[in-house]
Amino acid sequence: MKNVIYLIVLVLLSGHLVSAQETTTEKKVDKPVRSPWESGTLINHQTSVTQYKNTLEMVISHRFGTVENGISDVFGVMAPGANIRIGFNYSILDDLLVGFGTNSQKKYQDFQVKYTPFEQTRENTMPVSLTLYANAAIDGREEAVFGLDYEFSDRLSYFSEAIVGRKINDWLSVQASVNFTHYNAVDSLLDNDKIGLGFGGRIKFSPQSSLTVELGVPLKIESIAQYTSFTDHPKPHFSIGYEVSTSTHAFQIFLTNGMGILPQELYMYNLSEFDSESIRFGFNITRLWNF
Amino acid sequence: MKKVKMSFVASAVCLALSFVLMSFIPEKKPWDIPAEYQSMKNPQAADDADMLKVGKMNYSRHCKSCHGNLGKGDGPKARSIDADLGDFSSATFQAQKDGVIYYQSFVGRDEMPNFEKKIPDEEDRWAIVTYIRTLKK
Repeated sequence: MKNVIYLIVLVLLSGHLVSAQETTTEKKVDKPVRSPWESGTLINHQTSVTQYKNTLEMVISHRFGTVENGISDVFGVMAPGANIRIGFNYSILDDLLVGFGTNSQKKYQDFQVKYTPFEQTRENTMPVSLTLYANAAIDGREEAVFGLDYEFSDRLSYFSEAIVGRKINDWLSVQASVNFTHYNAVDSLLDNDKIGLGFGGRIKFSPQSSLTVELGVPLKIESIAQYTSFTDHPKPHFSIGYEVSTSTHAFQIFLTNGMGILPQELYMYNLSEFDSESIRFGFNITRLWNF
Repeated sequence: MKKVKMSFVASAVCLALSFVLMSFIPEKKPWDIPAEYQSMKNPQAADDADMLKVGKMNYSRHCKSCHGNLGKGDGPKARSIDADLGDFSSATFQAQKDGVIYYQSFVGRDEMPNFEKKIPDEEDRWAIVTYIRTLKK
């Protein structure tokens, strides 16, 4: 009797082992979609792209003056007061990067982290990608700017964002994001916090070139507002651009109504409309090094 | 007699000069391909439309700037490169084994950079080899 039980257990176990083996061999890894975006930034917003582990990315961003003066200052290209940022991001893991940037506007020094916990997969096991982005920036201007009772914490601002994106097909990718901006110190009658929505898309029309569009909308939410008068409520920022990418570079040139490069600046302080007087040219260039 | 002597001297000078000039022509350095690569075979079918699309996209992004649209070694960056860029459309190039093209393309040497980190997916690498095969004249 004992032997019969042993035999039954053995048969059952062997069947289980065989089926486990079959499952292992049949299981196909569903890889992430190829190039949902060309680089880590679309125009002003982040994308789901984090470069491969041990990649150093240099990002040079530039916003010229407004086009309102026409040819006299080459549509803002030669206008004074351009906004420039140079940043470096390093990918610690394939889906996690940290970065630092220095910006001429308000002498912002920013630290950022981006993590993509889910990537959209080729077989649609995961239909969308989810990216989390956060930064902290230090306003580096002289103390006098911050008025009386100055404290170092007055210089700090924060931005965090959750981005959901999908590569619809070979030529179209879209994304939407919800974000939160906080400034420790703001002028009177302004809110310290702002919630916003971001939308972006890319239409790829050749293996290397794409048309990009982007919209950022700061929301008027009374329940988090300190002043329901919404004095100087920031305007939505809209951008449209052209992007070309190679193995180690991405070059983006665009028209935008936002002067800021850091997202918290755009969501908190942009008062320009997207009209023929307020739009400006800008560009981002990225360079990658693999280690 | 003097004329004969002069012509000898002139010939010697010409010969020496041609040797000097020839030394400036870059010599085609043979590739030392490890055996494991020699035996590699492209797992993709030559007419796999999906892979050809992926291969073309990645070729445009990573290879075209040096090797040119048709793989003739005439891309915009080719002029600043000393190394022999080859001609992917030539019979000599196409006669090479899949694994040899794979090694040359992704492991590289000297001015041909290593692309293993930039293109980590094996399927994407072979897709480029599949696409390069279509550049045959």
